Amino acid sequence: MGKQMTEMLKGTLEGIVLALLAGKPAYGYEITTLLRAKGFSEIAEGTVYALLIRIEQKGLVDVEKRPSEKGPPRKVYSLNAQGGKELEEFWRTWRFLSERLEQLR
Amino acid sequence: MFIARMIDEKKRYRRYKTRTQQLPADYHTAIEALERYLMYFGPGKGEELLAMLEDLADLFDESAANRTPIRAIVGEDPVEFAEAFRRNYPVGQWIVREQERLTSAIDSVAREEKTT
Repeated sequence: MGKQMTEMLKGTLEGIVLALLAGKPAYGYEITTLLRAKGFSEIAEGTVYALLIRIEQKGLVDVEKRPSEKGPPRKVYSLNAQGGKELEEFWRTWRFLSERLEQLR
Repeated sequence: MFIARMIDEKKRYRRYKTRTQQLPADYHTAIEALERYLMYFGPGKGEELLAMLEDLADLFDESAANRTPIRAIVGEDPVEFAEAFRRNYPVGQWIVREQERLTSAIDSVAREEKTT
């Protein structure tokens, strides 16, 4: 993954993860796997984890601890009402940006 | 009060240390390297520093259980990961002091500009 891609993803990864969680609740490892399946192949698991901590602190997701067969209990994240609003705002901003960028081509 | 808090924090730190020592060797080495970096640039307060380290230990516990390779946890650039992770926690007090100093220095210059 190129340097440019890494830089651009930094600003959009939060919106991408919120969009994934809008589909269904998931835990950290699942989210990374889902991202890989959607073509975001080289995102580090730790980067996703740091982002999940941030959106939890910002109150955009609800968190539920569920026991797992192996390892520590898993934190399952689901989008709440505030997270839903943030996601709408993300799509609005994205639309604005992509329209402006298209005009520059 | 102060002493009691210090003893409590020391206990928490020791618990964190024992916990990370139980990780497989390569995970342990990696988390120690991250801890060293975060001690320099992370939160200045014991309570916040501990919360950060415990979150980091959660990540490594889960990754070790899933056998996620170290490179897949921290990515191509470990400094970038450490920075993204650190930003979730309050910055050290000396950094806050310097940020306030910078803001007020620029404020006063900008004010001067307007009046002249």
